[in-house]
Amino acid sequence: MNAPVDDRLTALRGSAQRRAYNARSLAALENNPRCTLRALLDASGSDKAAIAEHAGYPSAFGQSTFALARGNAFEALVKANGYAELLRVLRETLGLTVPEVGNRDLNDVGGDSRQEIRHTHTTRLLVKAAQGSGDSTLYDHPMLRLTVGGYAVFLEPDLVAFRADDRFYIVEIKSFPIIDGQADPVQVKSATTQACAYVIALRDMLRQAGIDPEAAVSDQIVLVAPKDFTNRPTAAFVDARKQVAALTRQLARLERIKDLVELLPEGLTFDLAPDGGQAQRPVEELTDALDQVDATYRPDCLNHCEMAFYCRARAREDASLDILGPEAREQFGGVDTATMVMGLARGELTPTADQSEMAIALRHAARLRAELDQAYRGAA
Amino acid sequence: MSMVSALARVQAMESMTAVKVTAFRHRRLSDRPLVVIPLTMAGEAGAPLAAMVGSSKRNATLLVVAQPRNRDQRFAFAADLGELVTEYLNSFRQDRRGEGEKSRYSDAPQLLVPNTGGIKALADLARMCRFRSTTGPYAVADVVPEFGMWLTFLVERAEQAGTCLLLPVTGMLTEHWATGQSTLEDQNLASLMAWISPPPGTDVAQAMADAESPDICPPAGPTTSPQFDNRDLAPAIKRFDAAHTAGDTVALAAAQAELRELIAEQIQPTWRLMWDAISLLRSVPEAPRAAARFGRDCAAFTSYSDYRDGGGLPQRKRDTAIGAARRLDRLEQALVDFESDMAFDDPFVLADRRSVGEAFAGTVVDADPGRVVLSDSNRRVLRPRVTIRTDDPVRLAAGTKLVSPHMPDSHKARIVSVLPEGGTMLVTVEVTGGMGTPRTPKADGVPALDRHIAYLPDPGWRPAAEFPASDSTPWTHHSPAQVPDADATESENAAAEGWGHDD
Ligand code: SF4
Repeated sequence: MNAPVDDRLTALRGSAQRRAYNARSLAALENNPRCTLRALLDASGSDKAAIAEHAGYPSAFGQSTFALARGNAFEALVKANGYAELLRVLRETLGLTVPEVGNRDLNDVGGDSRQEIRHTHTTRLLVKAAQGSGDSTLYDHPMLRLTVGGYAVFLEPDLVAFRADDRFYIVEIKSFPIIDGQADPVQVKSATTQACAYVIALRDMLRQAGIDPEAAVSDQIVLVAPKDFTNRPTAAFVDARKQVAALTRQLARLERIKDLVELLPEGLTFDLAPDGGQAQRPVEELTDALDQVDATYRPDCLNHCEMAFYCRARAREDASLDILGPEAREQFGGVDTATMVMGLARGELTPTADQSEMAIALRHAARLRAELDQAYRGAA
Repeated sequence: MSMVSALARVQAMESMTAVKVTAFRHRRLSDRPLVVIPLTMAGEAGAPLAAMVGSSKRNATLLVVAQPRNRDQRFAFAADLGELVTEYLNSFRQDRRGEGEKSRYSDAPQLLVPNTGGIKALADLARMCRFRSTTGPYAVADVVPEFGMWLTFLVERAEQAGTCLLLPVTGMLTEHWATGQSTLEDQNLASLMAWISPPPGTDVAQAMADAESPDICPPAGPTTSPQFDNRDLAPAIKRFDAAHTAGDTVALAAAQAELRELIAEQIQPTWRLMWDAISLLRSVPEAPRAAARFGRDCAAFTSYSDYRDGGGLPQRKRDTAIGAARRLDRLEQALVDFESDMAFDDPFVLADRRSVGEAFAGTVVDADPGRVVLSDSNRRVLRPRVTIRTDDPVRLAAGTKLVSPHMPDSHKARIVSVLPEGGTMLVTVEVTGGMGTPRTPKADGVPALDRHIAYLPDPGWRPAAEFPASDSTPWTHHSPAQVPDADATESENAAAEGWGHDD
């Protein structure tokens, strides 16, 4: 059905291996849903980190082996001995009725680990469970599918969707601590962003099977994390209703990948032309290709997207107000660059009708600052 | 963000240099601050890795935890850091003045950390230390719980606007300078300093690029860069562990020395930046009202000192419902007061408020200094009125109480009307305080015709909000923590709770 789009996306990616959506690209969906460049890079499964690096702006994301080790060790601990610790916190801490039934590892199907096969298998089992005839409580590594920009992407939650009190709950296992009942809100938010995508994907799956999705999948996320400064897990419900609604809205609003692809110039590719593991494509050719696509940089990209240093450099070159971030930017509604702001402030530019109100406030502010500059020149 | 502060950022962007956004430094800067740079291990819950501490640039002490996962080593670190910090705190408990309720130390300590992450790291450390028992199976050094309680006090005080016992240097810098980058990037001390004072021979653009390169400017913490962790730290810790297991004292000493050296290299650039930042901040004049705020810091420091001397209990893990409401009320009031103090002292901050219509300044175009009215109690009172013409987009309603940085402190006024006139505003105010009586009007009590004057809302004195005593609250308002485990058992449980791995 998607064949021509698929072909275009494959051409964009070029010879590189396809990358799946991950936590960071999902977070970017929520934080910067309008960026065409990111949408295309992610939908095509391009390796953003490799592209940024070859373009001369290596991304700053790296994971400390300590964090990695700790995360893996904690997840293993929670799942050890037939999920004993997980079951304990679900029952004791959250008071859920979790029947003593088996669990399913959906990592692969009889040795076949292709995404489509695993997805079909997951669907069959979870739909059966939702209809009340399943034989398991915990589902490890299910393969879900989410529609992003009209295009299906596979999500592989590194987590367990379990069925308690006749509902599915999404469980996120994280290694940041819950101290005295409180966790770092930034980390909680990024954990729930991922979980929200899983909630939406799971609900879609059940809806298609004629099951009431809202009733079947809770929008309370179960966060399992170390208690205080120990290794012992504890759990908490995180209310993700608002975030699920927000992400649903963004997904619906997201321009369709198909439409984006159609606007691209013929033959556009982000291929790095590797040879013996080394990218050989002339850098200028790559940056020319990147520059053909719109990007909407914002400082938050530094937390979410591997392309951030590249896009920031591009925004700086243009003296774009995007550099300063939305709080500053929104003061100058309708004006995009520092050059224009200063032109209006100095009265060298004439504001358009839309800008006239803002320009009055701007000139007033500029007068205030000019007076102060004069009074305090040199001092301090 | 106001139009004035947004414009300052655009100006910085255009000129590629930081621009001033205040005339003053609104925080008192101690003559002898204690700089603390905490480093923690990535991924672990509040696992200290190292700290560099000292009260002068030349006098740094580096403390390192060779194996941050090890519980004993963590507590040894907490004890060492605790000794240094409590010794510093105690040095401010010498000169005490005043009698009875007014008695207080004349000076107070000041801890400076690089960024808000540094405060969080100290808060975690405080939480881990304050409930520890100094006897029994998990005994720790005497100083550990003491240190934890003091640190908790400092961290809690730091939440209150305008205080200066514990501050992030990035916050102090951004209060005075705006850069042409985002507030997110301003949290990186090296990036911020690149805009304000790039290293000699380096332009801002180059300094910014260097600031983001972990090999040139290692992060100011609390976590170290992943590259450093993977390339240097992890192998060094492994060597330490191996030597430890083998019981090889020579190799152990070598591994320890190597770790210290690696961490010193990571932390020293930040140490230098901290002191550079401090000397830059010293060159900014202190705001007039900072002294009164500092007086309140001294009082808080004194009262907590006395509480500690009386053997007071550690702070609770979580506030009760009433405690939380009381705290919120206090924090809100402190914020209003601080913002108003700053606007009163500082024409830059005032301009910020003016640009959004929360304050105004202009010329007196009409004055009736002798206006007399009959009060409710039928007395003749002086109620002078003046009208000020301003370009500011005034958004204050009639009846708003005002104060003015350009009049004596006793001067109070109230808005009578705000009327637009040909692109400007005419604000009529009635003077309600500091004008004297009809018989003896005060000279300077009323702004004279043609003079320039600014007004801003009076943050006002308000009575402390009243909260019920804890035992008279309905059960619905008890926090969950209060019901199942009462405070007495709470600290016992916490003393035995694990911190890290027991290996
Ligand atoms: S960094 Fe660039 S590509 Fe990534 S989301 Fe931001 S603007 Fe889009």
